[in-house]
Amino acid sequence: MDEEPERAKRWEGGYERTWEVLKEDESGSLKATVEDILFQAKRKRVFEGHGQVRLGMMRHLFVIIDSSRSMEDQDLKPNRLTSTLKLMEFFVEEYFDQNPISQIGIITTKNKRAEKLTDLAGNPKKHLAALKKAVDSTCVGEPSLYNSLNVAMQTLKHMPAHTSKEILVIFSSLTTCDPANIYELIKTLNALKIRVSVIGLSAEVRVCTILTRETGGSYNVILDESHFKELLMLHVKPPPASSSSECSLIRMGFPQHVIASMSDQDAKPSFSMLHLDSTGEPGLTLGGYYCPQCRAKYTELPVECKVCGLTLVSAPHLARSFHHLFPLEAFQETPLEEYEGERYLLAWHVKKCSAWSVISSYMTHCTAVLAVCRLTGHPDVRWPDYKTSVYFSTRN
Amino acid sequence: MKLNIEGLLVYFPYDYIYPEQYSYMLELKRTLDAKGHGVLEMPSGTGKTISLLSLIVAYQKAYPLEVTKLVYCSRTVPEIEKVVEELRKLMDYYAKQTGAKNDFLALALSSRKNLCIHPEVSSLRFGKEVDGKCHSLTASYIRAQHHSNPSQPVCQFYEQFDAVGRQVPIPPGIYNLDDLKDFGRRKGWCPYFLARYAILHANIVVYSYHYLLDPKIADLVSKELTKKSVVVFDEAHNIDNVCIDSMSVNITRRTLDRCQTNVETLQNTISRIKETDAAKLREEYRRLVEGLKEANVARETDMYLSNPVLPDEILQEAVPGSIRTAEHFVGFIKRFLEYLKARLRIHHVVQESAPQFLKDIYEKVCIDRKPLRFCAERLRSLLRTLEIADIADFSAITLISHFATLVSTYSKGFTIIIEPFEDRTPTIANPVLHFSCMDPSIAIKPVFGRFQSVIITSGTLSPLDIYPRILDFHPVTTASFTMTLARTCLCPLIVGRGNDQVAMTSKFETREDFAVIRNYGNLLLEMSAIVPDGIVAFFTSYIYMENIVASWYEQGILENIQRNKLIFIETQDAAETSMALEKYQEACENGRGAILLSVARGKVSEGIDFVHHFGRAVIMFGVPYVYTQSRILKARLEYLRDQFQIRENDFLTFDAMRHAAQCVGRAIRGKTDYGLMIFADKRYARADKRGKLPRWIQEHLTDGSLNLTIDETVQLAKHFLRQMAQPFRQEDQLGLSLLTLEQLQSEDMLQKIAQIAQQA
Repeated sequence: MDEEPERAKRWEGGYERTWEVLKEDESGSLKATVEDILFQAKRKRVFEGHGQVRLGMMRHLFVIIDSSRSMEDQDLKPNRLTSTLKLMEFFVEEYFDQNPISQIGIITTKNKRAEKLTDLAGNPKKHLAALKKAVDSTCVGEPSLYNSLNVAMQTLKHMPAHTSKEILVIFSSLTTCDPANIYELIKTLNALKIRVSVIGLSAEVRVCTILTRETGGSYNVILDESHFKELLMLHVKPPPASSSSECSLIRMGFPQHVIASMSDQDAKPSFSMLHLDSTGEPGLTLGGYYCPQCRAKYTELPVECKVCGLTLVSAPHLARSFHHLFPLEAFQETPLEEYEGERYLLAWHVKKCSAWSVISSYMTHCTAVLAVCRLTGHPDVRWPDYKTSVYFSTRN
Repeated sequence: MKLNIEGLLVYFPYDYIYPEQYSYMLELKRTLDAKGHGVLEMPSGTGKTISLLSLIVAYQKAYPLEVTKLVYCSRTVPEIEKVVEELRKLMDYYAKQTGAKNDFLALALSSRKNLCIHPEVSSLRFGKEVDGKCHSLTASYIRAQHHSNPSQPVCQFYEQFDAVGRQVPIPPGIYNLDDLKDFGRRKGWCPYFLARYAILHANIVVYSYHYLLDPKIADLVSKELTKKSVVVFDEAHNIDNVCIDSMSVNITRRTLDRCQTNVETLQNTISRIKETDAAKLREEYRRLVEGLKEANVARETDMYLSNPVLPDEILQEAVPGSIRTAEHFVGFIKRFLEYLKARLRIHHVVQESAPQFLKDIYEKVCIDRKPLRFCAERLRSLLRTLEIADIADFSAITLISHFATLVSTYSKGFTIIIEPFEDRTPTIANPVLHFSCMDPSIAIKPVFGRFQSVIITSGTLSPLDIYPRILDFHPVTTASFTMTLARTCLCPLIVGRGNDQVAMTSKFETREDFAVIRNYGNLLLEMSAIVPDGIVAFFTSYIYMENIVASWYEQGILENIQRNKLIFIETQDAAETSMALEKYQEACENGRGAILLSVARGKVSEGIDFVHHFGRAVIMFGVPYVYTQSRILKARLEYLRDQFQIRENDFLTFDAMRHAAQCVGRAIRGKTDYGLMIFADKRYARADKRGKLPRWIQEHLTDGSLNLTIDETVQLAKHFLRQMAQPFRQEDQLGLSLLTLEQLQSEDMLQKIAQIAQQA
């Protein structure tokens, strides 16, 4: 905890009273700190996992970003808006990485209005560009929870029943300016099986508590920037599907990556379908992915074919989505004294497995798996769920 | 779960228990064992009521001869209902665990207004009207007239009850007000009189303070309660004021005018009766000669709760001859009335003691002390004889007669203040005679004297030693309990300065200071931006609030606040206030956020709870000292100093701090709740003020949270609110602030529990 990488500079941090933190650790006192509770919850979350639960793998997620006056607050550096957008960029990348067959859309709300920044789409590039552009926008007025949820709902309600329909609200303000009774809207959302989750940037707001409780989402409030990131990353994992959602088969294409070398005489540079609407960059490339159905060319996957509407993915994408269904087994925490075996490996084992895997993101969780793997030779440990682990696996 | 409290088997209807509840029951049991009185302070929201009920019920079951009745006094009707619901839960649990049929009778009692089922009477809006109307249908002579003249309307519910209701006891069970009404409707009995009758043999009675403390009502309702009862005063932090109010009399010119008409009515009725039914008056005369012997016999045999308005000496004597006949008595009252009128015709303030007043009245109009003392009793007898139906009309003359009796009975503990005008409006003549009780122990003395155990409990009773002193009794246990918390869910902060370092205080000299008002405004503005949903702000008085809000409006602060939250203001008008409250709650509910500006000692500060999002922060602007220039207060302070050796300042601070604690305590109503408590006055940081806060607040008041600036407050509050917004489940509390039976029985938990209670 003491060496968190993205901690702000000391002088930028909030008014802290470090001497009190020390006091709370006193043993024998009845007081348990909030950190302690959080730690326990996190531990539980990491270790429990979903087990054998159906997950909504095809997700349609709208992220609503509050851009009201309160986003100018500087308790996140340099201010809430910039910080949020930066994290959102990271989130979008991560999201498509983990959920290649899902889509995302972004809505902002300010001045009592809601505005769609990007529509639901499966390509991260457009979202990232939009997010980058949004940094310069000014934060004014009050947000409207009602209006923004309504905008998201208008699109989501037409989505097929087998997809997981989600809204994630990043809510900085403590008030909302609504044109109508929001509880009616919550009922509608509930009926449409749209799950709304909220990440609050300042404090717990009653209406958000109700909103998330009624629609089955989660509600969290950030403590600081690193906690914010953590909470955001929780939404990368697909949520359990509601029992009533339908099942259906989906057609997908697995295009081969055709690599044309410069020396190849036959190769002609061609435009990718994606570049049809984006004007900025030069679109001519040699190789690419060709849709197995209509032979349209794309430079990146996953994407929905513009011509025939086929979802194009690569096998690793699907595999990555697949791993959510088989989460890792929980680790056993072994105190140092009880462990018999090689000492130097053990220290690492204990550190990585127990404390570390909980505190930092699950990337360390993965390396820990390998450690155990090496130690015990436990054969049925599954491959960790992070892309970097692939490199580990090949190395070992 | 079943608990073993020092050998007593207690059924507790929940699976989990708070450690402080266990500790509370321990102390309570010791009090009952010692057959003494107790003062127990435990924060609200920690299950005081159920702890009290489960222990006392268990005690009653285990020792049916030691404790026969529980009298639970609460303040308001909703609170009474809540107690009954808890009791119902407890009894259901008993039935489930033991399998035996419940043989307990528990009931709630309230006024006729809340219990009447007569179709006409119950539709009336005001309590007084209902009482009057009911009386005009159920009085004995009305019913007698009904016999001879069937067209005379009577209440058939009362008739039914009177015919059979007393022989057939109400079946055991738990009855709240609605249950009583249902039962009454089913049987066709009057629920009010049924309840009043049933409390005599009920095991548990839940009713309002006034049924025990107000001598006028207590005499009617609670006179025959058995001595082996346990009396509990819940939310008793204001009990001294209730006692004082019940014994004080205020007489204005209007009272006297109405009294005048009362006298005329009496006179007319007497002369009429004299012509028609002189025997009746003679009969009354004979009765009065015999004196109030019956009452005396009853009191000697310890049957009745004594009435402080009816002092002992009176009972042994016959009514003096000078007021024995009806005409003479009316003449007497008339003279008394004229004297009072003359006294009210003054231009300067007069303060005198009761003996001075008596001497003066003897010199001026030759009224002796002795007949005055019988005034109340004599009037009651007369009203009974004259068969006047509508008692409500005679409230003025009844008031005067009470005054006469009290002033001639008590030479100590009362003062008479006659003010020709109010201090705030010195030009408008509005003479008032305050006959003010200064000693709360007078009213409560019979209660302590009569009942075996009296428990005084509340969330805010600190400092504990002062209550036994001002109520003049000797408790066997005084204890204060803290709240065990899995997370520190209350955050008391003392803001002493603005960002410009100007001290913030509501001190009289600086309260008009521009900088202070601005800083208060800034504090509210900053808080409105960071606290979600509801904020409740308390001011020291209505006038102060008006001044400040007006000044904020001029400075544009109000406008800025309104960008963050809506603003609602409590006024002296009850209807307006309840409207504001309703809208306030709506705004908190739907995410708009709101601020309620209200006044310490007002309706909001006493009776309304702001759970969860309805009160995420309470801001106390200034120290809520009582208006110190009031003559009544000055007299009381003097009396306290002379009689109880309590210094003026100590009492004033105590009084201010208990109100401040009441106000800020509105926000925390349980362990899952959380809230900021902001004391915006630098004087709170002083040890003499801080030390008088309840222990459960003091505990969280560290040196780091004293004398903060607005900036620091905002930082701390932000941090606190974020921490509290983290998910919090029941499991997190388990083992720390919430225990299962096994956890409770573990050795070190018992040790920890022993530390919770702090004996004062």
